[in-house]
Parts: sequence; C-alpha cells; structure tokens
Amino acid sequence: MNELHTSRTRELVAVLRRELGGAAPLPPPPPVPEIPLPPARIWPTESHRSSYAERTAGHTTALLGVGHCGTRYHTDLVLQFQAELAVAHGAVATELEADWAEKNGLLPLHTRVSSHREFLLRPDLGRRLNDASVERLRAEARKGVDVQPILADGLSAVACMGAGMELLGHFTRACEARGLSVGTPMCAHHARVWLEDEIGEIVGAKVAAILLGERPGLGTGDGLSAYLVYHPKVGNTDGNRNMMSNIHARGIHPNEAANKLAVLARAMIQQQTSGVSLDLRPLLAELGDAVSGKPQAPQARVRLVEVPR
Amino acid sequence: MRGVNLSVSIRGVSWRFQSVKEVLAKANPPKSGDDLAGVSARDPVERVAARAVLAGLTLGELRRSPVIPYEEDELTRVVEDNLDESAFSAIRELTVGQFREWLLSERSTGPLIRAISPGLTPEMVAGVCKLMSNLDLMVAGAKCQVVVRANNTLGLPGRMSSRLQPNHPTDDVLGILYTTREGLSYGCGDAVLGVNPATDTPESTAEILRALHDLRLRNQIPTQHCVLSHVTVQMKALDLACPMDLMFQSFAGSEKGNRAFGISVALMDEAYDKMRRLTTNQGPNFMYFETGQGNALSSEAHHGADQVTMEARCYGFARRYKPFLVNTVVGFIGPEYLENGPQITRAGLEDHFMGKLMGLPMGCDACFTYHASMSQDELESLKVLLCAAGCSYLMSLPVGDDIMLNYQSTSFHDIPSVRRLLSRRPTPEFDAWLNHVGIMKGDNPGERFGDPSVIR
Amino acid sequence: MTLEPIFPKILSVRRIPGADPALLRAYGADPGRHTSLGLITVDQDDPTYVALDEATKHAEVDVVYARSFYAGSAHASGALSGEILGVIAAADPAEIDAGLDAIIRCLEHDACFYAANAAGTVTVFPHVIASLGRYLSAQAGIAPGSPMAYLVAPPMEATVGLDAALKAADVTAVKVFPPPTETNFAASWLSGSLPACEAAAMAFAAMVVEVAGAPRER
Repeated sequence: MNELHTSRTRELVAVLRRELGGAAPLPPPPPVPEIPLPPARIWPTESHRSSYAERTAGHTTALLGVGHCGTRYHTDLVLQFQAELAVAHGAVATELEADWAEKNGLLPLHTRVSSHREFLLRPDLGRRLNDASVERLRAEARKGVDVQPILADGLSAVACMGAGMELLGHFTRACEARGLSVGTPMCAHHARVWLEDEIGEIVGAKVAAILLGERPGLGTGDGLSAYLVYHPKVGNTDGNRNMMSNIHARGIHPNEAANKLAVLARAMIQQQTSGVSLDLRPLLAELGDAVSGKPQAPQARVRLVEVPR
Repeated sequence: MRGVNLSVSIRGVSWRFQSVKEVLAKANPPKSGDDLAGVSARDPVERVAARAVLAGLTLGELRRSPVIPYEEDELTRVVEDNLDESAFSAIRELTVGQFREWLLSERSTGPLIRAISPGLTPEMVAGVCKLMSNLDLMVAGAKCQVVVRANNTLGLPGRMSSRLQPNHPTDDVLGILYTTREGLSYGCGDAVLGVNPATDTPESTAEILRALHDLRLRNQIPTQHCVLSHVTVQMKALDLACPMDLMFQSFAGSEKGNRAFGISVALMDEAYDKMRRLTTNQGPNFMYFETGQGNALSSEAHHGADQVTMEARCYGFARRYKPFLVNTVVGFIGPEYLENGPQITRAGLEDHFMGKLMGLPMGCDACFTYHASMSQDELESLKVLLCAAGCSYLMSLPVGDDIMLNYQSTSFHDIPSVRRLLSRRPTPEFDAWLNHVGIMKGDNPGERFGDPSVIR
Repeated sequence: MTLEPIFPKILSVRRIPGADPALLRAYGADPGRHTSLGLITVDQDDPTYVALDEATKHAEVDVVYARSFYAGSAHASGALSGEILGVIAAADPAEIDAGLDAIIRCLEHDACFYAANAAGTVTVFPHVIASLGRYLSAQAGIAPGSPMAYLVAPPMEATVGLDAALKAADVTAVKVFPPPTETNFAASWLSGSLPACEAAAMAFAAMVVEVAGAPRER
C-alpha cells in the first residue's frame, strides 16, 4: 500500500495543541523540583573516601571505589583526571630550553630532527646526530673512555631538566668511584634511545649510557629512564640494551639509580657484553629488582587539584 | 604484472604505478606510519589516482598480487593454501569498486557477506577498505555478524561486550582482583577478564589465572579469563595445570614480523592444539589475538607495504584459529604510526571493518598514548562510533587509565554509558547474571551498580 | 510535550489459517462460516478496538474476540501481552491478511493515545471515527457508517471531560463506561453529526489537559 495515510483525529489534536500554546517554540518548563544534594563524593576528598577506595589503596594505584553519577564520573574525579592528563601532555609538549645544556656545562648536541612534531613522527631522525653535532662531538669530546653518559630529553624534557643533572652527577661519581673513566658530559636535544649507539661509536666508549625522559603516564611527567649498551654502534637493537625506568623522587631515587647503573656498566665491561646475553645473576645483591626484569612498585597517586576553602 | 592496468588520468594528467603493492599503499588515507615507511601518496591527487586504479582491479587480480610473495612468507601461504575456492569464485570477477558497492547494497545481508568471507584474501579486504569513507566502514561493518561461543556467547545482535583489563605494575594479585571487582560492578568483563602481566613467567601467569578463575567460580560469573603473556609462557602455564579459558598472542602481518614477536605458524598450530585439549572453556572458540596498524613496520617487517594491508594480513592469519576474541590496539603504538585523533579514529573503524569482513569477532582497544595528539573527547567519540558500527567489544579500565602500560583507553564508566546510548546489552548469559546480582536492571543500572561489594 | 501522540506498539501478530473448530468456538467464531483467525496484541487497548472495527470496513472479517487485560500493559503477563488481544475471523485466509493490514495501518497512522501533560503521566484518547464499521456499530447500537466520538481518559479527567464534551456540541452519549474499566480508565461513546463529534472530542481533550494541569480546585 503506497497511499498517503492521514488521520482526522491527529489533525484535530494538532490544532488543539497549537491553541493550548503547544506551538510555542519551547514548551513551558516544568515546575522547579527540589534538588537534593548528591551523596558526598569519594575520590579524592580524603574525609569522604569510600571504604572500598580505602581498602584498595594499599594494593593498587588504580582509581577504585570512585562511585558514579548515573553512568558517569563525579566532578572532582573529572578534575583530577584532567589535571593528570594535563601533566602528561604538558611534559610531552615541553621543549628542552635552547641554552639549557650550555648553562649546565654540558656539550650540546642535536639530532637530525628539525621540529617537535617531526621528533614525535620520525623516530629514525631522533636516532642520528646532525652533521654539526657530529663535528662538534669529534672535536670536543674525550675519546676512548669506559663510560659515555648522555643526558637527553626523550619524551619528557620536563624530566630531563628536572632530575637530569642530579642523575648525571651521581652516575658520573658512581662510575669514577668504581674506577671507570667517564666521558665528556653532554646533552642531546630531540633524542631517542638508539642515539647512544652513534655517540658511543664516535667517542669510542666501551659503554654508552643514555639518560632520558620517559613517555609520560597519567599524572607522571617527570620520570627518567636509562639505557646502557656495551660496544655502542649503529645497528644495535633493543636486545643489546639493559634499561632501568621509573627514576624520579617517587620511584627509584636518582642517587640509588646512579649506583645501580654504575654496577651495571662495570659488569658490562667485565663480561664484554650487554642486553639479553649479560649475566645479571652475580649482580642481584647489588642491583635488587631494579634491572632484573622484575616489575617496579607503583608510584603513589597524588591529589593534584586543591581548592582553598 | 601482465594484463593488469596500473594507470589512470585525472583532468588530463596521467598517473602510472609500478605495482599493485604501490597502488594499495598510495590509496591509503594519510597515516604517519605510511609516511615513516615512505610508501604513502605524495599528495591528495596521487591518492585519488591510486584509488581510481585500485577501484578497477578485480579481486582475482588482488589474489594474484599478495604484497609479500608466496615463496617468501608463510602468512601468504596460509592464506593462499586455505582459501575457499567456491566462495572466491563467486566474487573473483568483481572489481574492488564493484565489491565496495556490493558490500553496501541492500541485497548484501550479513549472512551473504559471511558466505563469501572465506574466499577473501587480506589484500582484497584492505583494498576495498581504502575506497570506503568512515561511514561506509561503519555501515558495512555493522552488517557483518560474527557469533562465537566460549563460556558465553559473543557477537549477537544488539549486544556489545567489554574486556575487563585489571592490569597492575607489579602483578599484585589482590590489586588485580580489587580492580576486577570494581569493573564487574559496572557491568564490564563479559568478553574476558584479561590481564597484561608485568612479569612474563609461567608461574606468575598461572597464579593470576587461578585467582581470576576462583573469583569467577565463587561468583558464578559466565565469562572467561586470560593472562596475556607470551604464548610459549602460557603453554608452560598449562603444564602447571592451571585453568585457562582463552589463550592470547599478539600478531604481525608478516612472517618476519611474527618472528620479532617470537612466533610462527607452526608454534601457533602447536599452541592451538594444546589449548584445544587443555582449556577450561566450555565453547568451541578459545583463542584471543591482538593486532594493531604499524606493528610490522616497528620491526622493519612491512616489506614496503602500507600498514592497513599489513593489518589485514594479521586477520588472514588469525582466522586460521577460529578465535573467540580479536582486537586491534589502535592508538597504543604511538604518533609515529597514527599521529592524531582523526588517524586513530579512521584506523579503529578500518580495523573493525576488515576483521569483521574476514569473519572475526572483532573488538577494539580505542586508546591513545600521551604523546599522540588525541583528546579525551575524541576518544569518547570513537567509542560511540565503534559501538554504532557493531564492534563486538571494547576494553574497560578504572577511569580508562592503564597504570602499568601508561596509556588511556575505555573506562568502566564508558561501557554502560555507550551501551545505554545505543541500546546495547552485554552477552545474554552475562546480562542475566548482572540482573540476578542487581548490578543492572534491564537496560538501566540496578541497585548494586558501581558497588564492588556485590562481588565476593 | 502536551498532546503529542503516544504511538501504540504492536507486540505480536499471528495468523491461524485453518483453525481447529473447538478453538474457533471458544473465541466466539462460527465454524460454519469461519475457517481462519488473525490475532494481534498491542500495548494500547482503545486504539486497537478502533483498529479492529476499521478492519471490518476493508475486509470480509468479523471481530470475534477483543478483551483488555486487567490493569493495562504496565502489568502485562509477558513481553508480548500488552493490554489487549484482538481476534478477527474469516472464511478465507486472504481476508485475514487484508484485515490485519487494515488494523496495523490504523494503529500506525491513526488511532493513538496522546499525552495530556508535559510529563506524559496523564493520557487521553479523544478519537473521532468518521464512519463506524460493523464491529463498533453493533456494540454501540447505532448504524454502520455513522460517526462516533470514542473518548477515554483516567477516572477524574474522563468524568469532568465527558461533561464538557456533552455541553460543547449536539451529541448524545450512547454508552458511558464509568471507572474502572479493565485498565482502570473511564470511557464514553458519543453519537452525532461528524462536526458535532469532532467538537465534542476536542472539548473533551481540552478539559482533560486542564484537569491534568490543575487537579485541585481546593
């Protein structure tokens, strides 16, 4: 049936609806109800934390016991979450200040990357020095050292400019205390982990150690990671490296990390290898869990939004 | 290849391509990963030229032009040697352009598409994907229905499931269980309770599996559990006689890429066979695979092909094992492969469509890392698009935050929100359980919604 | 929004082409004349009575059974029960098909309840039938082809509304169903010329809206 169906009653009711004011662009609002205050919120208002949030806090940093409004979040959780996201995005977006390396007495190096966007999109360019930096490295850096530390921005310049100098200083002293010679302090801009291969190769270091900002997580933009490789050369892969992550005040303290990294560097030189073929067993007493491949303890979740009352 | 036309003219300017592989790559919408691989079109006009050439190729021609030759790659051989010849003969003469129209036409129903699916190679599926807009991908993807069974039934119409992902940076079992209980109380977890372990050992895999299994039995929850360690580790865990409902592995789209993952066809055949004998799962589907555009390039195993085609090749491999779950981890790999919200959104819809077209129970981990240019709002939109496109399942985490892998995905709160918006329910068995314990009441949250104390 | 249609939901439609004589008899059909049945359940009863009557105008069918369920569709015995089962009978299954088509068409495009307040918590059925079929004309005791106003609302609203309708036009009440009906409403059937029935029905609807908006005069 393709005939057009009309209804006399529906037409009449439509006329009546218009007469009764139903043709107004908006119907009159319903009477204002009494709006009860919602139940007290849970995270992160300390005094009102749910018992589930309380109970789980000792076992995980996941946001649990957070409750819900309908099927969505409470406002203070939204703000906490947005603050954590802003910290992470801010850390990624921050650029290493142009004169930061020189101001801190470090040899400034730059990769083949020409912009921050290119840095994110072209990991291959972040693994190689530009020509000027190669020249400068050849001309100015100490050669034939045991360990060449390289401070770098990686995915968080915030972390690099934060605890970077502290970690570099501790690591240098920890290596020297173990009788290892340490190369010229340097800092690489727009650098990826594998850059240590080219730098280490040019200076002829036995071990290259790049210390760089790690990819931020929610609320954490200040973590540093360290990647060490024996016999650095272009073409090494991740299987040739040993790494330590989560280096910051709430994770592994830079001082503690520096000592463990120096233990690792000495072991690489003694065993003349690194990565999967490095035997970590004799080092366990000195290293603990930090580089044994075992997972790290979660960092505490901190409340980010405080409104004075 | 002789006889195949690889040229076209646009406004009088002629374009000529060297190979089907080049046409497939240049027809792809912009992806930073294809730029990184150096295979993308130089500009929008060249992209359209490639699409025009692609639209004129027949599906038979695409079968004869796998992006990695038969002799060089076991994944190509798996697809070629197992292709359903009668299904293939039904569609071999269609051009890719005609195939797009066939998929979208009213006459091509879900069951009809399912019937020709075993005759499709990854290159055909990737090819037609490149001629489709986002809404095309959704409309065609929503037609494809893939129903699979384990301890419950996934993929029925009007349903959307979720993987509960209670990851923990130190595998603290109590912490994992606390997160699991919270997620269940929001109606999440009907696809799987699946943990990415921090420690890849058989013992810790078995310990987490046992804890999840006990929780499931104690509360009589009709779902399945899985620990996403390496497949060889899970095989050893099975030797420890632990309960395992689903066996997991990540896939790449080439033999070389899979070698970087430490797997091969022979190894997966062995794992499948072992799981068939030892799984605690009640149904005929017990494998779980994850993929994601760009993972072949990240191990330099892309053979000069684009990342959409390489992704489709993962699905060609996955269908050999009749999996219960397959999902793309769409934004996890980072901005060098998918730069921003639009690229991640596009990839999520592409992967869902391609997987479903190849007959897989396709889900999606709609996610981003914190160095990609995607906002929380864009991610929320993608979840709604995926659900509307018939995506079998999404992930679910506390506030969407993975405290171990440091990325942002779907949250416990997102699943009931999207379900209600689009009138979806969990799997029928799980739905009945949720209503029984009071977490849901029909389409709406029940009295115990969001109350983890309802789970023991 | 006030006076927006609330569309009836058709919950089930089935045909029994060669029904058992015992079943035919039990549901009021005549095995001597009828061979086949058509059945429908809907979540609104009064639009369905109108639709069943409509079927008798388009097909050789008799409405042999039509009953509302107690307390209405909010208290249905099952997902398919709604608040009414209607049964038509015919000698020829093809007539059943034509009858069911007419019923569905009427439910989709014509007869329906309307919201009498913004929240939709009060409803009204101010329906005008231009030309009665064989079913409702027999029930009302007036000739087929006559117009009729079929008015339904909740008890208070329907009672005040009926008074307004009777005073608004030259109509007579052929039947008044005081509350409670099976579904706890109240109803009335008014007869008169078509314009009179229309005026009465709209006066009824306007009064129901007024009562719903100002239920307490003191």
